[in-house]
Amino acid sequence: MSEGPLIRLVDVSKRFGDLVVLDGVSLDIPAGETTAIIGPSGTGKSVLLKHIVGLLDPDAGEVRCFDVDMARASEAERYAVRRRFGMLFQHGALFDSLSVGENVAFPLEHHTSMTATQRRQRVDEVLAMVELPDTFDRPTTALSGGQRKRVGLARAIVMEPEVVLFDEPNSGLDPLTSDAIDALIRNMKRKLGITFVIISHDIVGTVAVADHIAMLYGGKCIAQGPTAEFVRSEHPMVRRFLQRNLALPDGTGGVAGLPGLG
Amino acid sequence: MWDFFGALRRHGVPASRIVAEAYAIGIRSLPILLVISGFVGTNLALQGYNAFKPLGGQRLVGMFVALAGVRELAPTIAAAMVAAKAGTEMASQIAVMRLREQIDALEVMAVNPLAWLVAPRLFAILLVMPALTIIAIFTMTSSAYAVAVFQLGLNGQTFLAFAADGVEQIDFFYGVVKALLFGVIICTVSCWYGFRAGKGPEGVGQATNGAVVTAAVVCVCLNYFVSELLYGGSLP
Repeated sequence: MSEGPLIRLVDVSKRFGDLVVLDGVSLDIPAGETTAIIGPSGTGKSVLLKHIVGLLDPDAGEVRCFDVDMARASEAERYAVRRRFGMLFQHGALFDSLSVGENVAFPLEHHTSMTATQRRQRVDEVLAMVELPDTFDRPTTALSGGQRKRVGLARAIVMEPEVVLFDEPNSGLDPLTSDAIDALIRNMKRKLGITFVIISHDIVGTVAVADHIAMLYGGKCIAQGPTAEFVRSEHPMVRRFLQRNLALPDGTGGVAGLPGLG
Repeated sequence: MWDFFGALRRHGVPASRIVAEAYAIGIRSLPILLVISGFVGTNLALQGYNAFKPLGGQRLVGMFVALAGVRELAPTIAAAMVAAKAGTEMASQIAVMRLREQIDALEVMAVNPLAWLVAPRLFAILLVMPALTIIAIFTMTSSAYAVAVFQLGLNGQTFLAFAADGVEQIDFFYGVVKALLFGVIICTVSCWYGFRAGKGPEGVGQATNGAVVTAAVVCVCLNYFVSELLYGGSLP
């Protein structure tokens, strides 16, 4: 299905002072599929995501997106690549001074020549897709955590990006809202058919939506592969992570009954 | 700095945002500026009177007020008040945006944060600072006039005549030059602290505090060197 990796990380290392966050991480993210990067908190998942969009530069190694070396690209080249991305931030990163609709319309105002009416139509369309119709004029301060994520997702997809990045889409949400967000992501994937990269420590939700899974631990990518193979991995840390999150009986490695794999 | 001008050239600055920021900076700083410059004017009149009375030169109070007010105190006080009100708001707003990943969101949406957040504030402060300085000059002089005439019993026309003798049109121009310079310093210092803010509420507090202290200290110190350059004497 894919022609080659859309995003490629080669031996990426990053440290902050004495703290080594990424230590030679290599990862390929194929086009048109959903790749999940999982791992315990503090293992550098969000740092990895920031390397992909060029918010951080690696100390060593290379990050290539759409064949552009993000660390060596000019500002104009980086921005050109970023226009092909949409990103859902952990807490939405909505602008509090703008309404829901103005937040979602923000990229359209900056990067398109749409009229106000066209922008309004497009914004209403994506707000309906994230199941928040008729909220254009609502202040963002009146939104719940789950609604903020939905608006963040609407803003991420409004420009019809080729890749959508999700930074911990379930963090801080109750189980029901978390399930609703997972369902929304699956729905989006089906409708849009584009590349998704999901950072998460919620293995249940991840297995349900991901085609590929990579696991970070101690700054290294300790396992990666198609979801069905990944959940059978014999790596002890992967087993521990899966057992803790999925309550699998020790050593079974069974995947029957897992969401999306049953 | 080149990043900033490059971003401006590529992305531009919407006039509506400049006007909104100018309105916010001006309106928020004006009440405190009126109060402070008004009471500085009253004390200038009092201390000028005390200084010149033993020499029989009470008439010079008007000149003293005009010289000190127009040349030094009005631009400095306007800068201090704008730093205290608008500067701290700039630093804290940007620091909170950084904390909530909103600046990262701008970057990911391919919108340059310098062009979006700093440029409108810089242009706005350049519009507002000269106006606030002129307002401070007239408030200071008016309150000094009121104290000199109604409290100290000086002749009003003499006060105004000496005040007019004390300053020239070029002094108002220099006051505006100082205001523009201080505006650039307040905006760049405040935004710099906002962008460099540490994590958490403590980081926001430190950024806000650092912005107002640094901007005020730099403006007051720089005021001496600018006055030296504009009004004579020479540096060793």
